[in-house]
Amino acid sequence: MENIFIILLGLSMIYIAATSRLAAHVNMLIIQGWLLFFVCLSGFEKEPWFNWAMISGPEAISANMPHIISFLFVIVETLIVKAFVIPLFLNKVLKRTNAHRDTEANVPHFYCLFISSVILFAGFLIANIDAPAFKLVSPMYFGVSIAIIITSLWLITIKHKVLSNVIGFITMENGIFLLSLSVAKEMPIIVNLGVLLDIFIAVFILGMLVREINNEFDDLEVSQLSDLKDYEYND
Amino acid sequence: MINLILLFPLLACIILFIFKNKFLNNLMINLYAIIHFAVSLCFCLKKDFLPMWQPCKFFAVDSSNIIFLMVMSIVFLAVAIYNNGYVRAETELEKKLRHYTYMFLFFVFSMTGAILSTNLGITWVFIEGTTLASAYLIYFHKTKHSIEAAWKYVFICSIGIALAFVGIILLTVSTGNLNSLFYSDLYNNAPLFNPFWLKLSFVFILFGIGTKMGLAPVHFWLPDAHSEAPSPISALLSATLLNSAFLMILNVFRVMVLSGCDGYARIMLMTMGFLSLFITAVFVYHINNYKRMLAYSSIENMGILAIGTALGGVGMLAAMIHLIGHSLIKGAFFLTSGNVLEIYGTKKIKSVTGLLKTDRKTGWLWVLSFIGIGAFPPSVLFISEFLMVKTMFLKGHFVLSALFLLLLTIVIYGLGKAVIKMAFSAPQEGEVKKVSLPWTMYLPQAVILILAFIIGIYMPQGLTAMLLAAAAGF
Repeated sequence: MENIFIILLGLSMIYIAATSRLAAHVNMLIIQGWLLFFVCLSGFEKEPWFNWAMISGPEAISANMPHIISFLFVIVETLIVKAFVIPLFLNKVLKRTNAHRDTEANVPHFYCLFISSVILFAGFLIANIDAPAFKLVSPMYFGVSIAIIITSLWLITIKHKVLSNVIGFITMENGIFLLSLSVAKEMPIIVNLGVLLDIFIAVFILGMLVREINNEFDDLEVSQLSDLKDYEYND
Repeated sequence: MINLILLFPLLACIILFIFKNKFLNNLMINLYAIIHFAVSLCFCLKKDFLPMWQPCKFFAVDSSNIIFLMVMSIVFLAVAIYNNGYVRAETELEKKLRHYTYMFLFFVFSMTGAILSTNLGITWVFIEGTTLASAYLIYFHKTKHSIEAAWKYVFICSIGIALAFVGIILLTVSTGNLNSLFYSDLYNNAPLFNPFWLKLSFVFILFGIGTKMGLAPVHFWLPDAHSEAPSPISALLSATLLNSAFLMILNVFRVMVLSGCDGYARIMLMTMGFLSLFITAVFVYHINNYKRMLAYSSIENMGILAIGTALGGVGMLAAMIHLIGHSLIKGAFFLTSGNVLEIYGTKKIKSVTGLLKTDRKTGWLWVLSFIGIGAFPPSVLFISEFLMVKTMFLKGHFVLSALFLLLLTIVIYGLGKAVIKMAFSAPQEGEVKKVSLPWTMYLPQAVILILAFIIGIYMPQGLTAMLLAAAAGF
């Protein structure tokens, strides 16, 4: 079941690669947040720490409290932060800065589509490697998450608007989240908490900086931000 | 005592938030610096004056992070004292200065947390915290260039740190049944780890945290951020932030050593170290902004640390000595560059002439800092670099040691050319005006420089023992 959601996550990256409208990118972020939520929800039965006896009675629940809290936390954080808070915030920034499209990308859309498909295909190939070391991870999660991370990094390098870079950063974080689900054991809750907090603040600070850039420069283009150089003094 | 240095900044921020007062701003930074220094001194002397108040299991002092903590305390104390004069010279709005103070405290707090943490995940969180706190500090002047620098800093470092998190996830894959990220658990179970995933995770962690540490080829944020930040912040960035990132790499490297995969890790560290030296040697010669020049010198010194770590044994000991020396001297160098900026109002090397005649004290601090960072004999860096070259010879890396010396010579030439020109040339016509800066802008640099030179001549027994304990096992 969760494989369907994972594949949809991979496909959403192809869509992000092939469009230039920033509002569409933000919508895809919402969809990715929901998809990650469903992946969490449908995948947890297979986790080695989980069995239904854990929630059979009050004693079992209190004995397994850390696991349950950790699990609930992961679910709630994905849904609230990834599907609501961050996209809403980005939408606000989009409205304020009047940035609609990331035109004139270095690479035409058709090639973007093609290259991101190839990366996703490579991810599926990784998922099918039959080596003893790969027994330690769930293959589908691992392959697709690697594909998402690589596609995001590549998109960051080719896009022109600073906001597209922020969106690339968030999709990369989504990929990393999927990767952390691929490990067949739970991360300690404190780490989850810290990661969530940091990503949230990072997006917040990046958003603030986007606003400042918008106030200070005429355009939200990355090329504006290349004034500091080694050999020319222009301070 | 750990609780004290971790909780004080949070408390101070609350107090500042309630009593909005200009006087309190500086007081809190100074108070925190003094407490920080006192606590780490007590840790060095192994005296606990708050035995009842033990920290939670996520923070502890051990043989390797005590050196980092001590170095950080000394530099932070110097920066805090310097900051008093610096803030007085700044004619900024009070609100802005208050935000500066919040972020300053938070920045030091997150670096302290990163150094003291005993859990890989928590270290990661604090390292990311340092990025977010220092972003505002770099952006403090609110000019176009400082936005650019802050943007590059946050973005590049966040991506690097995110990749480091991929490394941590892969490390948990390699640990098999061990469900813990505590360093002690990782060290104890290291021989059982799956080598394939462990090696893969080291690549990610080295590149990710290497971004933060400023190793080439992922150093691009560093010259921009260091040159645009206010000078006390540049000093903290260079002398303490890079170290705390280095500590995390060191801890993961220790796992690699214990699990027997270190040959591979050493090659990677060595490559990045030499690349850093090479990049600095290429760029430093033509540079025309003296703060950028110092930033490149930081990249070079981080490269030397990586090389020392890769060499292992005595090389590791040398790296530890180098870390102390570099932090002290580079801290002084950056603080002095703040004086130069204050006097001349420009960061351009060509516009600064006759520093010794314009302000004698700043001029000599400038020259002495150069002598220190150039590793001329009384400086402690001389010992560390000498030991490193000696280790390379003993291990038979003759070509590498020749390359090492050649690149260092080029870097020293590049730095020396600019420093000597700025200090000893005749001042431009009509520009000889007597400048008087407050004493707090001279004393801290002088003290930490003298400290660096004293350690170069006489290393106390206790310090040697600490260094040997920190370098053991590599």
